[in-house]
Amino acid sequence: MKIGERMVRFGVVHPRLVTIVMVVTTVILAALMVQVKVDTDPENMLSRKEPVRIFHNQVKKVFDLYDVVVLGIVNEQDRDGVFNPDTLRKVEELTDYIRTLSWPDPDHPGHQIGVVKRNLIAPGTVDSIEQAGPGQVRFAWLMPKAPATREAAARIRQLALDNPLLNGTLVSEDGRALAIYIPITSKDLAYRIKKALEKKIAGFKGPEEYHITGLPVAEDTFGVEMFIQMAISAPLAMLFIFLLMYYFFRQMKLIMAPMIIAMVTVLCTMGLLIGTGNTLHIMSSMIPIFLMPVAVVDSIHILSEFFDEYQQIGDRRRTIEQVMKKLFMPMLYTSLTSAAGFFSLALTPIPPVQVFGIFVGLGISLAWVLTMLFVPAYVMLMKDASLEGFGHPLDDGDAAANSWTHRFLAWLSRTTYVRAKLIILVSLVLVGVSAYGISLIKINDNPVKWFTKSHPIRVADRVLNKHFGGTYEAYLVIDPVRTLEGPVSDQWRAQLRADALAAVGPGAEKNAVDSILGRELTALAGRGLDQRGFLRQLSRNLQKAQDDAASDELYDALSPVIDLVDRRLEELEIFKRPDVLRYLDRLQAAMQDHALVGKSNSIVQVVKKVYQELLSGKPGDYRLPERQKAVAQCLISFQNSHKPEDLWHLVTPDYRRANIWVQLHSGDNQDMEAVVSLVKQFISQNPPPVALKFRWAGLTYINVVWQDKMVAGMLRSLSGSFVIVLIMMVILFRSPVWGIIAMVPLSLTIALIYGIIGLIGKDYDMPVAVLSSLTLGMAVDFAIHFLERTRMAYKECGSWRQASQAMFEAPARAIFRNIIVIAVGFTPLLLAPLMPYKTVGVFLASIMLISGLATIIILPAILTLGQGFLFRRVAKRRIE
Amino acid sequence: MKIGRVCACFVLLILFAGFVSAESVAAGQLSADEIVDKANIAAYYAGDDGRATVKMTITDNQGRKRYREFNILRKDDGPDGGEQKFYVYFKRPSDVKGMVFMVHKHPGKDDDRWLYLPALDLVKRIAASDKRTSFVGSDFYYEDVSGRGVDEDEHKLLKSDDKFYLIECRPKDPGSVEFSRYQVWIDKQSFMPVKAEYYDKENTLYRRVEALEIKDVQGFPTVLRSRVENLAAGGKTVSEFSRIKYDIGLKDDIFTERYLRRPPRQARR
Repeated sequence: MKIGERMVRFGVVHPRLVTIVMVVTTVILAALMVQVKVDTDPENMLSRKEPVRIFHNQVKKVFDLYDVVVLGIVNEQDRDGVFNPDTLRKVEELTDYIRTLSWPDPDHPGHQIGVVKRNLIAPGTVDSIEQAGPGQVRFAWLMPKAPATREAAARIRQLALDNPLLNGTLVSEDGRALAIYIPITSKDLAYRIKKALEKKIAGFKGPEEYHITGLPVAEDTFGVEMFIQMAISAPLAMLFIFLLMYYFFRQMKLIMAPMIIAMVTVLCTMGLLIGTGNTLHIMSSMIPIFLMPVAVVDSIHILSEFFDEYQQIGDRRRTIEQVMKKLFMPMLYTSLTSAAGFFSLALTPIPPVQVFGIFVGLGISLAWVLTMLFVPAYVMLMKDASLEGFGHPLDDGDAAANSWTHRFLAWLSRTTYVRAKLIILVSLVLVGVSAYGISLIKINDNPVKWFTKSHPIRVADRVLNKHFGGTYEAYLVIDPVRTLEGPVSDQWRAQLRADALAAVGPGAEKNAVDSILGRELTALAGRGLDQRGFLRQLSRNLQKAQDDAASDELYDALSPVIDLVDRRLEELEIFKRPDVLRYLDRLQAAMQDHALVGKSNSIVQVVKKVYQELLSGKPGDYRLPERQKAVAQCLISFQNSHKPEDLWHLVTPDYRRANIWVQLHSGDNQDMEAVVSLVKQFISQNPPPVALKFRWAGLTYINVVWQDKMVAGMLRSLSGSFVIVLIMMVILFRSPVWGIIAMVPLSLTIALIYGIIGLIGKDYDMPVAVLSSLTLGMAVDFAIHFLERTRMAYKECGSWRQASQAMFEAPARAIFRNIIVIAVGFTPLLLAPLMPYKTVGVFLASIMLISGLATIIILPAILTLGQGFLFRRVAKRRIE
Repeated sequence: MKIGRVCACFVLLILFAGFVSAESVAAGQLSADEIVDKANIAAYYAGDDGRATVKMTITDNQGRKRYREFNILRKDDGPDGGEQKFYVYFKRPSDVKGMVFMVHKHPGKDDDRWLYLPALDLVKRIAASDKRTSFVGSDFYYEDVSGRGVDEDEHKLLKSDDKFYLIECRPKDPGSVEFSRYQVWIDKQSFMPVKAEYYDKENTLYRRVEALEIKDVQGFPTVLRSRVENLAAGGKTVSEFSRIKYDIGLKDDIFTERYLRRPPRQARR
């Protein structure tokens, strides 16, 4: 208490000093904001060291995969869809243009950033393998140049549709749409590429529609639009708050104080955030919006009170000291609880959320200090003339406003006393309904859905996913388990030597071969190699020995030995084995049964397609060969194409790791999870022919992982801060019972809000998860103010009935004003085209409304019912 | 400018270089087309026939290596710069052992190509299309194996110093190839092409072919080691030639469809 008084007095005595220090600090910290680094990547929701991210990046590297922008071209009007000369000419022009979209890397001289040309998937850049008359096969570009005739265009369509690797990926089954997959060096170029494409497309005439989508586009575009939003919504919210305060207080000069505090708090916090080297992430971009309501709340309490009491006291210094004395404890505790709610986010496993929590917590602390120092200073600095005619309820405009509020509050005061039981009953029913609603909650997120339904990205998403196998990618990566090959034992080596010698035909060279074998086997024995490494090195050494062979006879005699070693090695190339490929084929078929899996590609489709075309090209020959050698020869035939490296997106060159590229129609977490569990189930019911390990990667899957962490983390931090707040309440009120009562409005608010989310079917996504902590911090504020003031009033009046009437004067008015100001102040966010901002707007308004109303309706009802028991000790303390 | 013939562009099989005597060349008087013609002959037409064992090491941008080993037989029909036949027999990887690739090269028109796959017991004609497809997954193209058609490019002598001619080649039909132009460095002494650099349609250097080691074999300058670098993706392929012999008297019927299934001893060893 003494510290508080001293703080307030400092502001009162040195108003200029306080103001100057505040302005200078703000300017310095705000200046740090120029070095802002933006990070729009939701992947960073996970720490860089997160195993799934490390694995994802490893998979991208191993299989030479890049993040992809998808450009869809749809022609619904031409009878041949996109397969007419005119549309294909545009496709060709676009492809040529896309190839130019790369620029020198500013960070790595000599390197290029932008489109990865060599991995571009477009009609002009993919190969087709086709029948070219009896016994002939042709490897050619699918569309070396745009066709001149409809017949030629139709042929391209047929070739693409006949290729399982292209059908549903490059072309839609109905021939109405065609997609170009544009790999980019890094996700944060997606918006730049998108803008360039849009500009190019704007120059085209004709019936074609163009759609640009893909997770990188959604994510990067979101980042860009997020800043536009911040620049519009946050100031607009500020303006609304300002106008409402003006409506309540009619004193421009006075309401400037909360506005200044909000500004200073936001500027300092963001300056500090950026100055300490943190990136501005989707999460931290929301800090201003979260800080603003918290920063103005305390000032509104003070002003509301000052406004009411100034006329009675008349002296500004005494008024402000009086007001601050009354409000100090509740304000300290509301700030502490709010800050605790946010600081608890530091316990979540998600770095951007940790940063967000810590800095909002710091901001709240800062707002509190500013309120304690600057509001008194500001009041002291006002000219006397400004305070003239100030206060309640003297002028007419105020009287009208107040009488409306006044009558409502007076009615509430009576009702809560008379109908206490009914209120409690209704509340319990609401809790029951909420519990049911919460049970319905769907945990789900999809960055594409962060845009409103009518946003071009959402439209593109819908259209392209209707036509194609899906624009959301996930990778199912398959490795043999490490124990597949045994260690190199003496016995194993001896057996190998015997087998190798048996392969050498009778002849004079047998002894020479044996001595070379013996030498090499011994030399490699001590190297600690596994069987595979051993055989590889042995093959290499034997080849060297063969090159150095003194005679043609020895050269020839060594050949079967090398063959044998190589064959042993090839047995370990498990993704050439027909039985393993057949298993993958079945797994893919099982996945295909899921409605949201559009298609999947793997080495299986490559082998089947090549085999088919080598045999006859007939649909019946689209199958896997029976022998590993045949698989190998299909694969080497495939590598005679323009782009043999396409194979290495699906399998590693050692054929020891395979990648099933899964295309999904939906990027929703729950859909991805459904596919994951489907695969898990298939594997458990159908054990693979060799021990295999299955792991997922890809952006769609990464979203699932961080979402899971987010939910679990949020739940933990929410329950953690709930306990902390409860303990703080018990300490504040020096009573467990009062502490628990203080938690009632907050608990009800959380229950109701999440109940409503469950009932209306809104997905529990990233913004909703984060908002839970805001609910906790903000919702308890009103209860603290209400209960603290109730106890003060009780000490003055001696009875709850009288105290309750007093409560519905100034204190309730302050709470009521706060509810209105903040609830209405955030409605501009509803106009945002980005869903998370809308969600935040609706949430903040609802939190304020529900927790405020719960406080002034339910708390009095509880106090009425329990007054005998509850006020006994308050009364006792008063007597002391 | 005379209509150019071949930019003897770069070659896997540079082993069969024709010997061009230094005095036959009036120094500095040759046109770009003449230089290219001589280079084509030097690189592809050494002797009347020949054989070699080739070991290819394909290294991708992650340092992962793949190996190919094959024997190659060549026989010329008629004068240098004319028709040729190639027979390529694969020895390694062992699961493609016995695979044969055969080419009848017809300068000025489409080559005939065959593929024999023993595990499928299948002989397949490979239909004419562009020849700038990968050679069994390496960074070499088929065209590097048999030589790029003589009059498919326009040639221009860019530079001539005391060691090399620098020739720029531009395709006459730009739609048929992936490059927009390439430059070849041709050794003035031997007329062996020693380096070629390819630029894509956006004029970015993306491919480099180099002879790393050239040695005299039976009087013919012969490439013992060559390398293709894929500068766009970051991989490379190195070919090492051994057991090279020229003028071994290969019979004509080896280079027929019948022999695909029954590879001759010269091819297998």
